[in-house]
Amino acid sequence: MTRIAVAALTVCALIGISTYAAFYVAPTEQTMGLVQRIFYLHAPCGMTALFAFFVSFIGCIGYLLKRESKWDWLAVASAETGIAFCTVVLLTGPIWAHPAWGVWWAWDARLTSTLVLWLLYISYLVLRNMVEDPNRRAQICAFYGIFAFLDVPLVYGSIWWWRTQHPQPVVFTSGGLDPTMRKVFYLSWFALMCLMALLICQRYQLEKTREEVEVLKREVENA
Amino acid sequence: MKNLGSVFAAYMIGWAVFFLFSVSIARRTRTLREEIERLNARLKDLVKQGK
Amino acid sequence: MNLLANTSALLGKELRTEFRSRELLTTTIVFVLLVVVLFSFTFDPSATESRRFGPGLLWLAFLFAASLMLQSCFLREQNNDTLGALRLAVADPFAIFLAKLSANTLFLFLTELLMIPVFTVLYNVPLLAVLPQLAFVLFLGSFGLAVTGTALSAVSAQARMRELMLPLLLLPLLTPLLIASTEATAALFDVKPALRWDWVAILAAFDVVFLTAVWLFGEYLLEE
Repeated sequence: MTRIAVAALTVCALIGISTYAAFYVAPTEQTMGLVQRIFYLHAPCGMTALFAFFVSFIGCIGYLLKRESKWDWLAVASAETGIAFCTVVLLTGPIWAHPAWGVWWAWDARLTSTLVLWLLYISYLVLRNMVEDPNRRAQICAFYGIFAFLDVPLVYGSIWWWRTQHPQPVVFTSGGLDPTMRKVFYLSWFALMCLMALLICQRYQLEKTREEVEVLKREVENA
Repeated sequence: MKNLGSVFAAYMIGWAVFFLFSVSIARRTRTLREEIERLNARLKDLVKQGK
Repeated sequence: MNLLANTSALLGKELRTEFRSRELLTTTIVFVLLVVVLFSFTFDPSATESRRFGPGLLWLAFLFAASLMLQSCFLREQNNDTLGALRLAVADPFAIFLAKLSANTLFLFLTELLMIPVFTVLYNVPLLAVLPQLAFVLFLGSFGLAVTGTALSAVSAQARMRELMLPLLLLPLLTPLLIASTEATAALFDVKPALRWDWVAILAAFDVVFLTAVWLFGEYLLEE
């Protein structure tokens, strides 16, 4: 079996185990009840998205310093993967909020920050589609990717401080995590980080294949 | 069991997003691989013609 | 210092170009005025409501104005093919950015200062007492707008649909600036006005972070 297939199966198994743990192993939370179990998907997805964007940041810096396409491929692969994880956070948030607090959206610090992050990196993807020349595209997208990631702590900080000044009752975390809850949380996070690595690899391969096509097209033109 | 439906829906939607993302990448990769085969075949023909 | 000399020379050029025609400044001022007036139709502009919604509306108006005004920044160079000449003229490409963002800060700051008396009159919010602190917050905000807007103007000038791309790239990036400026301005609009140093700190951090980023990576944007 190929390495990718083995990796994919391992990730699926990890996801299966962590989902089982989230449903059956973790104790039920006192105040919010069953719906709190969404936390084991919602919160780690947010953290994994941030990590994916950090990898994209590294890719952007790598490209500007080294000028090798592989860094650009890494940048776009991790940015898209990060957006996928952000999307899950933004979809699971309302599904949690509605039964728990009766509102679909609450401008809670984490959810709002994730929304801004999502918008930032969607803009990055739109920019990628707006430049034809691959080298120029890689260069200016690397610059914007760096700007976007530098904004991340400022976004989180300012929104968190803004919410602290104008607090509201919706809080998407459990107060202090019970030890079993903590273990299930870290298991879910680990599974999601492995999934992130797999998706980044898969997406990176797509960019690499795209480059192969371009090289072949040039060879055919020259022949 | 109150809200079991919501928890279930959240997890299903979550995994669906990742699955769809992976499938979309796989589909795009397959299209490009077919393009590579087509270009390789064309290149072989052109080389033969050149000779 | 060579950087300072180059920057002031280029800044002089930017200011002379603008004050010769004054078209950028006038259109920006009129645009912000329009937005400020139109906003009055979206809520009841009594003094209390104006204190609540005014800061946010003002800063949104400034943000939109900036994302329109800053488009021409590098587009002008590209259309007239002068970017190559500029790069040859200065050793450090950061001088080009510094000159442009200084000019843009000045234009934005001037526009905002002009809007303050208009806002005071139209919305019945007395601001004369807090004018120095307000000017300080406006300056920090304008600087942040100018730094990010100038850099992203260079980015969007190289992309298709550049008129839409600049706002698309700029606005999500400016979220921390919008929140911090609005909160700081709101504190000054309050019945008991106060300068909020926490929000000023976030504004200053935003300005420093992005100025440093332009200093470190800006030259890559100007390469051919």
